[in-house]
Formats: sequence, C-alpha cells, structure tokens
Amino acid sequence: MIDKPLVIENLTFKYRTRPELALENVSLELKPGELLLIAGSSGCGKTTLARCINGLIPRSYRGERSGRVLLHGREVADMHIPEMAQVVGTLLQDPERQIVASNVFNEVAFGPENLGLPRDEILQRVDMALKRLKLEYLRERETFNLSGGEKQKVALAGVLTMNPSILLLDEPLASLDPASAHEALEVFRSLADEGKTVILVEHRVEDAIGAKPDRLLYMDEGKVKYLGPIDKMPKEIDHTKVKLPAPWVVQRVKSLNIKTEPAPKHVETERGEPLVVFEDVDFQYDSDLPLILNNVNLKIYPGDLIALLGPNGAGKSTLVKHAIGLLKPTKGRVLIEGQDTRKMSVAQIARAVGYVFQSPTHMLYAPTVREELEFGPKNLGYDDQQIPQFIKESLDTVNLGGFDEYPPLALSFGQQKRTTIAAVLAMRSKILVMDEPTAGQDFANYTHFMDTLCDVSENAQSILSANFAATLFITHDLDLAVTYANRVLLFGDKHIVADGKPQDVLKDADMLLKYRVRPTSLLKLNLDLLPKTGRFLPAEALAAYVP
Amino acid sequence: MNESNTWEFGTRQVVYGAIGAALYGVLSWVTNIFPLPAAGNVTFRPAVAVLIFFGAAYGPWVGLLAGFIGNTLGDALSGWGFYWNWSLGNGIMGLVAGLVMSQIKDFRAQGDIIKAVIYGVIGIAVGILFACLTEMFVGGIDLNTALVGYFVPAFLGNAVVTVVLLPILMVAFAAVASRRGR
Amino acid sequence: MLVTWKYRPRNTFIQKLDPRTRLIFMLCVIFGLTIPEIWDFRILLPLFLVSLTLYLMARIEWKDVKRAWMYIFILVFFIVGLNGLLSGRGGPSSVTSLPSPVVMEVLWGIDITVSKMWFALNQMTRMLTMAILAIPIPYTMDPNIYGTAFRRMGASDKVSFTMDLAFRFLPTFARDFSITMDAQRARGYEMEKLSGGIAGRLRRLAPLIIPVVMQSTVTGEEVIDAMDLRAFGTKPRTWLKDLKYAPRDYIILGLGVVIFVGCCVLKWVFGVGGFFVPDFFLNLFV
Ligand SMILES: Nc1ncnc2c1ncn2[C@@H]1O[C@H](COP(=O)(O)OP(=O)(O)OP(=O)(O)O)[C@@H](O)[C@H]1O
Ligand SMILES: Nc1ncnc2c1ncn2[C@@H]1O[C@H](COP(=O)(O)OP(=O)(O)OP(=O)(O)O)[C@@H](O)[C@H]1O
Ligand SMILES: [Mg+2]
Ligand SMILES: [Mg+2]
Repeated sequence: MIDKPLVIENLTFKYRTRPELALENVSLELKPGELLLIAGSSGCGKTTLARCINGLIPRSYRGERSGRVLLHGREVADMHIPEMAQVVGTLLQDPERQIVASNVFNEVAFGPENLGLPRDEILQRVDMALKRLKLEYLRERETFNLSGGEKQKVALAGVLTMNPSILLLDEPLASLDPASAHEALEVFRSLADEGKTVILVEHRVEDAIGAKPDRLLYMDEGKVKYLGPIDKMPKEIDHTKVKLPAPWVVQRVKSLNIKTEPAPKHVETERGEPLVVFEDVDFQYDSDLPLILNNVNLKIYPGDLIALLGPNGAGKSTLVKHAIGLLKPTKGRVLIEGQDTRKMSVAQIARAVGYVFQSPTHMLYAPTVREELEFGPKNLGYDDQQIPQFIKESLDTVNLGGFDEYPPLALSFGQQKRTTIAAVLAMRSKILVMDEPTAGQDFANYTHFMDTLCDVSENAQSILSANFAATLFITHDLDLAVTYANRVLLFGDKHIVADGKPQDVLKDADMLLKYRVRPTSLLKLNLDLLPKTGRFLPAEALAAYVP
Repeated sequence: MNESNTWEFGTRQVVYGAIGAALYGVLSWVTNIFPLPAAGNVTFRPAVAVLIFFGAAYGPWVGLLAGFIGNTLGDALSGWGFYWNWSLGNGIMGLVAGLVMSQIKDFRAQGDIIKAVIYGVIGIAVGILFACLTEMFVGGIDLNTALVGYFVPAFLGNAVVTVVLLPILMVAFAAVASRRGR
Repeated sequence: MLVTWKYRPRNTFIQKLDPRTRLIFMLCVIFGLTIPEIWDFRILLPLFLVSLTLYLMARIEWKDVKRAWMYIFILVFFIVGLNGLLSGRGGPSSVTSLPSPVVMEVLWGIDITVSKMWFALNQMTRMLTMAILAIPIPYTMDPNIYGTAFRRMGASDKVSFTMDLAFRFLPTFARDFSITMDAQRARGYEMEKLSGGIAGRLRRLAPLIIPVVMQSTVTGEEVIDAMDLRAFGTKPRTWLKDLKYAPRDYIILGLGVVIFVGCCVLKWVFGVGGFFVPDFFLNLFV
C-alpha cells in the first residue's frame, strides 16, 4: 500500500463558542511531495482546517468535530503531541508570535529540546536546518531585531528541526516586502520538491502562484468550493473575494460577461499651496545610530493620493512620522501649512494631519466606539456641541453607523481598522496618512474601504472628497498603488528615489526590483494596455480593453 | 474563556506567566522614566494593576510567576538590584489576587469586578506586608518603621491604582475574550 | 523606546562566576547576619569589607549605579538610620534597656544615647553590606542566563522556561508600548497634560495601558499554540544552555558557607556577635 501523508474524510467542525459550522464536509487526500494551496476569504475556515490537521483541534480548541483526519494512516485525535509534532510542522500566521526564544540558536533548538533529545543530536539538527535555509549567518543573532523576512525563515527553521513530513503554512507572507515574500515561496517549493507535503494557506492567490502549487483548494463558508489543478482556472473562484492574477480576472469577467461600469475618469485637481513640505530633511534615531533619512525633499499638495513604496526597514514609517511631528528632523525642517513642526504641539499638528497606525490593536482602548471616537476631538479641544456630529459623520463614512455603543475590542479586525480610520476622521484632520492600511486584511474587506477612501471620480461620495485634502499610504502591495494612487513615491537609500504619476514611476521594472518591489500581473497588463487606457485601472475595468 | 481549574499548571500558565511578567517588568520600568502622579511620599505604579489583572484572569500560578519574575526583571532594567524578598512579595500579591479566578464568570459583571478588586487589594496587603516584615527581620528595623516607612506608602499607592485601573482592564478584557474564545 | 539592559559583558572575576554561586553567596551573607542576629562591629566590618571588595571587583561605572545608590542611601540614612538613632528599636533590646550616657536631648523627651548612635551605625553598615551585594547583579549577570540559573537551583522546567519566555517578550512589549504612545499622541493625547484628581489622572493612563495589555492577551493564545505544536512540556527538556561550577565558584561558595556557619557558631557556641558599645566609642563622648 502506498503511503498517504494526509487523508481527510468529510470533516465537520463547530467551535463551542460559535453557533455556525466553521468546517462542513471537507475531504481531501495529499501525496508526498505535493504542494497544496488553500485559498478563501477571511473567516472561511482556512485556519480552522489547519488546526484540525495539526491536532490543535480537538486538543486545544473545544467544539464538535466529526469525520476523520489521518496522518500516515493514523487518526490525529489518537496521537500524542510529541509524535504529531514530528509529523506536522506548522508555521503560524505571525512569526513574531511563533518565536519563543530570544536568540536564533535557541529558537531553532526549541522543538528538539522539548523532545528531550541528546545534545549532540540537537546541535546537528539545528546546524542542518540553518544550513538548509542558508541562515548560518544569523546563528548568534537576537530574534528581536531580525527583519520580517528573517523572522519568517528562523521560525521555519525551528519547525524543520522536528523534521516533519507535512508542512502547514498559514498565511506566511503577511507584511513581507514582495521580494522577501518571493524568496519565502521559493523555499516552500524546494521543500516540496524534497518530498515533503506542503500545505500553503494564502488568500493572495496572485502571490502564492509563485510557489507553483500542484493543486488549489478554494473554500467558502467552511465548504470546499473547488479542489483541482491550478492551471484550470475555475469560474467558481470569486475574484472580488480573493486576489487573483489580473489575466484570470479579465478572463473571468469576460467569460461570465459580468458588466463593469466604465472606469470613472479622474478629476485633475489643480495644485494649490503645498500642505506638507519636507526641506532637506536628515534624521537619525540617535547620534551613534546611522542616518535613516538623508536629504529628503517632498511637497504634498491638495488632491494628492500618494502611495509610498520601499523595502522593509528602508525608513518609510520614519519618514511619515515626521509629517505628524512624532519625530523631528535632526537637520532641515518639515513645514505643515507653512509652520515648522518644531514650533507646533502634537495636538496642533493632529488638527492638520491624521495618522492611522498599521495595527488597530495599538490604539483601541475605549469601552465603546463612541468614546473611542471622542478621544481625539476632546484632546484637540473641539467644543462638546460639535463632537457628536463629527462622530456620526465619520462612522457613516466608514459605514459603521449604529455601532456607537459597541465595544471596539470586540469588533472583527476589518471593523477595528475602519474604527481607527473613523477616529482620525472625527478629528477633522485635513491629511490622512496610513501605514500599511491593508496588512493582515482580507482582500474583499480592504478593497471595500480603499474604494470608499480613495475614489476621486467626479461623482465621488467618498471620504476624501468629504474631508481629506490629501491622502498618503505606505504599502508593500504594488497593486494598491496601481489601483488607487495618482502619485507614487519610491523610497530607498535613505531618500526618495522616484516621485511621479504611477504610469511614469512604475514602468521602470529594473528600478522597482532594485528596491525590492516586484512587478505584478496587474501592473504588466496595465502597462501593455496603457496606450488604450491612458492611465492605470483595476483588473475588472481592464476587461473592457482586452480584445 | 476556558474552564481550567485554579491550580492547573501547563503551557497556558507558562505563557501568560511570562507575558504578565514581561508587561509588569516593562511598565514598572517605564514608570521609573516618566513622572507619574504622586501624593506625599506615595508614588503610584500603574503596573501593579496589570499584575493583579493577570492574576484574576489567569489564576494564582500566573500571578505568582508574573509578580516574582516581573519585579525581578523590572528592578534589573532600572538597575536597582535584586531583592529576593520584594520579588517574592510581588509574587504573593499576584498569587492571592489569582485565587479569585475560578469565581469570575463575566468580566463585565459588577459583582465579579468588585470581587476581583477585593482579592487584589488583599493580595497587595499580604504581599507588601511579607516584604516589609522580611525587611524588618533582615534590616533589623522595628515594626513601627517597617509599617510607617515601607508598608503604608507602598500599600496605599498600589491599592488606589488597583481600585481605579483593574475594572477598566477587566471590562476591556471581556470585549477581547468575546472575540476569540477557546 | 528600546529596552537596554544594564548588563554589559565585562571581563571580570565576578562575571566569570556562575550566577548560582553569586546568589547563594548573597543568601549566605544575608542569613549569616540575620538568623543568628549579628550586631558586633568586629564581625560586621570585615563582612562589609568583603562585600565592598567584591563590589569593586565588578568594576561598574558610577554613572550607571548613581540613581540606585541615591535610592539606597535615602532609605538607609533617613528611614533606617534616623529611626535607629532616635528610637533605637528593631535591634536587640539591650540598645535601649541598658543605661547609656545621653549625648543630646531631642524634643519630646526622646534623647540620643551613645548606644543608640552606635546601633544606628552598625545597622547602616549591616544594610549596606547586603545592598552592596544586591546592586551589581543587573549590571554583571546576563539576564539570558536567569532561566537556566533558576533551573539548576531546582526550579521545574516549566518555571524556568517562563523566565526565558518573559525575557524574550520584554523588548517586544516595550516596542508595542512606544508604538501605542505614538498612536495616542497622534490623536492629541499628551502625557504631560495629565490633569484632575489622582483617580482621574490614573484613569487618563488607560489609553496607554489598555491597548498594550489587551494585545498581549491575544498574542498569548498564539504563543500557546506555537509551543504546543513544538511539544513543549510533554517530556523532560534537554537544556542546551547549561551551567558548570568552576574552581573559582567553589572558592566563593566555600567563603559563603564559612561566613554563614562562622556567624552561627560564634553567636550560639561562643556567644560572640551580640550588640555592645566598644569603649573607644564610649570614650569619644564621656
Ligand atoms: N478560537 C475560536 N473560537 C471561536 N470561533 C472561532 C475561533 N477561531 C475562528 N473562529 C471562527 O471560525 C470561522 C473560521 O475562522 P478561521 O480563522 O478558520 O478563518 P480564516 O479563513 O483563517 O480567516 P483569516 O483568513 O482571517 O485567517 C470564523 O467565523 C471565526 O470567527
Ligand atoms: N525607535 C527606533 N530606534 C532606533 N532605530 C529605529 C527605531 N525605529 C526604527 N528604527 C530603524 O530605522 C530603520 C527604518 O525603520 P522603519 O520602520 O521606518 O522602516 P520601514 O520602511 O517602515 O520598514 P517596514 O516596511 O518593515 O515597516 C530600521 O532599520 C529600523 O531598525
Ligand atoms: Mg487564518
Ligand atoms: Mg513601517
């Protein structure tokens, strides 16, 4: 009989704390050396399925489970943790939280240590894993100040030391810059080629294709919608729910002849006085630390919709923190509406510039959404008569109307994100600055709020036209820049290396690659069609121009 | 949350013990950097509310570890030194506060919050009393000094902090827990 | 803010010592002085000098320890010393019970006697002897090794690992805290402008504390999974980091034991080590 690493037979699961089924009749079979891609929108049960495979369900998570999950012919529920840990290796969504040791060597050795293996065997396994992933140079480093990509690989090494036959990767690409993500995918592929069974959970199908999966499992509301070879692109996959390569979308739109409203044409706002000005700005966090910003010059005008691209650790966040006075330049100056930030209080600046931090969990604290939104305006000293109305308006714009008395901490991630944006709206800031607004977010969810936020068509009922004079967002997702920006900044080597219209900045593929940004299928397609379209458009809209 | 019994000691307790300790350490250290409201010779250490919270939310073991390790790391960060008796005192604080865990059904409910606060304040009293009495025995100071010079200020400050901040923490936690149950 | 440990690798005898050695030695001195209740300057002074030498051998820069020492001095002089001087209580009863020449009258009939003065001096020496051993630890002991040290002193795998894990999370939470701080300042929150009564002012800290704590509780759930998935706590662990006593450790440990046993024997067998006022000190005043 041939060895089957993983067999799942009509698996159904319901969390004790939830009324609805999280998984329903899931069945699948995997061969050694196979790479399976699991896709689906947020909340469709990807992580739950993963938990069933690595035995956290039924062990750690209580609920009703039926059906069978067999690892090499043995039921998961009957295996002991040590055995299982050596069959299935799991890489969790966020490496930051998977790493349990303060230096790389101990992190990688953690698993074998727990198995109580003899020293020299552990040492030998650690060296092998580090060698396999080309991480020897990190051996003695502290885990805390590794880059995102390095953390990712170290976590993986820690899993490989248990030498499992099945690898389970739950959205491993979040918050990696495109180049790092691509490197990670190539590693996953090669592991599959070595005979390990790899299960890759990722809703950004577009990027996951990089790992050349053998099969695709598409889930929706806990059910299997499609299971089959990746190249036979199925109509079932909804391109509004998961991120598909542009050609697929076009093909789908055409074949199902979904009618797309003609792309609205931009209203070119004439450039008035600049709102924010960077004049020869230098910055370093400490006199004995290296320069992060070197001679940065930048003017932000009303009507700008700026996307800021650049590698991990380049200094993007550092740059925008100057625009809200959280950091002051060590040389040169930053002017906001003509005033030097050095002479302004944080509160003053906040009236002009609103900053949405990457993770909502970093700022939400109040018992109700209303109080959360009152916080800003009260600090800025708006009078209590106006505030309730500010709040109502901003809640409506991010369509959270009716959530006023709901605790923000109990909201879903997407809703929390929108709450933080509403909180900034309520402060009546003129400029909106967002640090990686889409990181860790589900595709459907973020396209929705980016649409409302960045739609500048003449008939726009959007936040931008309603409140913000200009918007700037940092992102690692090139397509976001392609779709929503009317101006793109490329940051690298301590300063802004390119600044201009998307079609001008993004056409230079070599420069993008130099700064770890990988051209996407959407960008390529747009560049091909540019003569016809005249400007960049979302994939759906492009369908109209493809013969 | 999950209905683990009070004295269970597994991965969960290890992790939250560590997290509680790290938070307690960092926050105590931070309050040594930023000036905080002070009344007379009573200085406030908001971190204590966090310690009591971890006790109440995750039980006595977590409270004990968070208190002992947290205080040790906090002192190490601030460069005070290592005072085994004060670290142990902090551990006892968390442990006593943790005894309430099994009685808390709903972190939003007023009754449960009051219970937690009471246990917390008792914990603080016991913990600091322990530290002060060892101080007395070790340093050879009389009861009077131990009480007036050490106990009263420390106790008052921490008790106030707990009464004010613990309820806020618990209400927030109720919201978080409602989102991700086990 | 970035967490910066006081610890810096220095090539000193003290730092080469096994952390266990230093903790045990410290306990020997503390209990040697306290259990048999030593108050005799002929024992206190040498011990003080021993501790002092060890302290100086650690070669810690003064600017680093300044704040800690201020704190200790205030405690020792104003709370402990002054109190001993005035009340004379806390030590042996003989300080106050035996007649002793009065040096000067303070208000309310409290008078400072020679023996009270001598007692206060001894008391301060005694406390400094112990403090001087406690203070250098953060500067000279790598926090990385705390967990292992605990384990080799008999703590369970789980307890010891808690120590390591806490150490791992410390910088992460420090960073989270400063991010939260920035996020709230960007919404006009100003730490400096804490106003209102004590309760009110404390409540104003919620925006800083709540997000950090709540995020940490969520993080915890994932860390638990991560550790379970790598078989934590299922078998006795192998610890790659480990400690070995070197000859120098046995020397210090020996010294510690001698001190402890010595104190006990002197006090209980030979009755030496109790409180008394030496003549030279008496003669200073009469
Ligand atoms: N620990 C839990 N307790 C109760 N319900 C849960 C738990 N974890 C997930 N759920 C619910 O189960 C469903 C599936 O969640 P799951 O995390 O598997 O989705 P997902 O596909 O991984 O989403 P994402 O892409 O956002 O990670 C969701 O409705 C979610 O709310
Ligand atoms: N508070 C700080 N103190 C010292 N150095 C810092 C601090 N914050 C960031 N840095 C360093 O400054 C550099 C730029 O960091 P920054 O966060 O701005 O990069 P980034 O472009 O935002 O990266 P990412 O895309 O990963 O968010 C990094 O090398 C980082 O290590
Ligand atoms: Mg998931
Ligand atoms: Mg950043």
